[in-house]
Amino acid sequence: MTTFFLAQARFPAPEFETYRLPELVMEEAVFDSSLLRAGLLLLFLFGSGYCFYRRRSRKALLLLHLLGLAVFGFLLHACPCPVGIVQNIAEAAATGAPLPLAYLLLFTLPLLCALFCGRLFCAGACPLGALQELMPGKKFRLPPALDRFFRLGAVLVLLLVLVCTVAGIGFPLCRLDPYLPIFLRSFNHPYLWLTVVFLLLGLLLSRPFCRYICPYGVLLRLFSLLAWKKPVITTHDCINCRLCQQSCPNNAIIAPESAASPAQRKRGLRRLELLLASIPLALALGGFLGYAAAPLLYPLHRAISLEQKLQQRAEPELAVEAFEKSQQPVTELSAAADRGRRVIRTGLTLSGLLFAAWVLAELLAQARRRPEEDIHCIDQTLCLCCGRCYQACPLEKPRPSQPDRRT
Amino acid sequence: MNRRNFLQSIFAVLLAAPFALLFRRTKSALPGTLWQIDPSKCIQCGQCARACILRPSAVKCVHQYAACGYCLFCSGYYHDQRHKFDTAAENLRCPVDAIERTYIEDPYFEYKINEDKCIACGKCVKGCAEFGNGSLFLQVRHNLCKNCNQCHIAAVCPAGAFVRVPASRPYIFKHAGEAK
Ligand code: SF4
Ligand code: SF4
Ligand code: SF4
Ligand code: SF4
Repeated sequence: MTTFFLAQARFPAPEFETYRLPELVMEEAVFDSSLLRAGLLLLFLFGSGYCFYRRRSRKALLLLHLLGLAVFGFLLHACPCPVGIVQNIAEAAATGAPLPLAYLLLFTLPLLCALFCGRLFCAGACPLGALQELMPGKKFRLPPALDRFFRLGAVLVLLLVLVCTVAGIGFPLCRLDPYLPIFLRSFNHPYLWLTVVFLLLGLLLSRPFCRYICPYGVLLRLFSLLAWKKPVITTHDCINCRLCQQSCPNNAIIAPESAASPAQRKRGLRRLELLLASIPLALALGGFLGYAAAPLLYPLHRAISLEQKLQQRAEPELAVEAFEKSQQPVTELSAAADRGRRVIRTGLTLSGLLFAAWVLAELLAQARRRPEEDIHCIDQTLCLCCGRCYQACPLEKPRPSQPDRRT
Repeated sequence: MNRRNFLQSIFAVLLAAPFALLFRRTKSALPGTLWQIDPSKCIQCGQCARACILRPSAVKCVHQYAACGYCLFCSGYYHDQRHKFDTAAENLRCPVDAIERTYIEDPYFEYKINEDKCIACGKCVKGCAEFGNGSLFLQVRHNLCKNCNQCHIAAVCPAGAFVRVPASRPYIFKHAGEAK
């Protein structure tokens, strides 16, 4: 076949009189569903758009989640899903590895959709999201500031995953995916405890993985920043009853703010000044921390850790044994290790900078008051299209006393 | 077009531009690669039996009969510390009795891997490589493998023996010939 290496035929093959060598049967690969899944994904995006914007019905959305979980999670094994394809894209961009068109489609369709009409992908087409959405239990709403803080986790994950992928450490996200064992119904997972933790968290919090870990969610957030179509809680005149805000477990609803009093204004301005003044410092700190954290990733890199083991030679190591058997020149190995260290160092420094920039941008956005909006509205970058607020809004419940002004 | 729409368009183009570049990188419509073990690198460390996301592992031992010596005292079949050359379990290498031994003609025996039993521990592979012809080796079997985006064995393989191969040539045989 492709490769073979000359094993020493210590014992020559015998000449048999009647015996025939048995045929070696090597099976074809199982059906590859990625193109089919890309097609279905398009259908699902239309479906969730219909359920969320037209039907405006949480029941319909839950049904869609159930369907998505069955189709993408269990029937067509969802690997690689758009969340994981983030890594394939990074690898292809960095090293020129081949990227199948179906993967690019799977990755791009939800983002394009987000660009125009918000994170519809998270409402049914993502098996990870569906699994969390369908978790039973009362979902607690974290204080918005705490929620925002935890959400930074996803940004960190995205940056780390990109650095690891580009440096050739492998696809860390696929190894850590807490829901994979459930979809495969196989529990031989090195991080099975993560599965348990996220399932338990999912009973108390809405979409813990989506909000605090998912790197694709960060991209969806960015892409939906200026979406053309935005969800509206009610087309009637909002009476600012705050019921929708309390119903949203994802903290995606922005309450109106009164115009600032002079004292508040002054304080706000001071805060803004302070924030602006600290930009260079924050960026420098981020970059420095990233740079300083580089050695933490070194042991994960094959060439780097192998080089270290070769130098120490404390006890017989399998990796060292394999390296010696392969007769690869040591110079090649140290070149690879140097390349790895360089990529990790620059990658993490850049990541630190970007992370600091992200935090600053969020703080700046928070510093802005929005007195111009006098209704409760949805922040479409955080909204996961669950439809709870439609249910909660008292104006949305068609009552005989109140004519429906939508038509 | 008001200012907001204008900004939106610019933003959209900026975000979408990288995809146009990536589009030129895409190969065929269908994924090109599968995970496979390069038998020339494998050192039979035993991770293949443990680390696969599936249990039992999607890796199995393959016997390339054309390279086999059909030895009476097969070093893949018998343990180094065997007491006797008989089929008592303590004398055999395979911990799950997955190697079936059949008499062919004096003094030759055929050794066949029972893939339903094989757990990919690689013990027989090691024995055969050290003292025999090396006609046994480990391969990812694609009828079982889920083709994980990141193979969990590849991530821990100490020999870096896992490679991505094109789907059109999914196996790496140890010896020439018998290509299929
Ligand atoms: S946030 Fe991520 S995991 Fe959650 S539904 Fe969206 S893409 Fe899926
Ligand atoms: S639809 Fe969006 S804004 Fe409304 S409750 Fe769900 S996540 Fe919150
Ligand atoms: S993990 Fe690597 S070295 Fe170990 S048995 Fe499998 S292929 Fe061979
Ligand atoms: S790709 Fe997945 S299923 Fe296949 S051998 Fe690797 S871990 Fe096992």
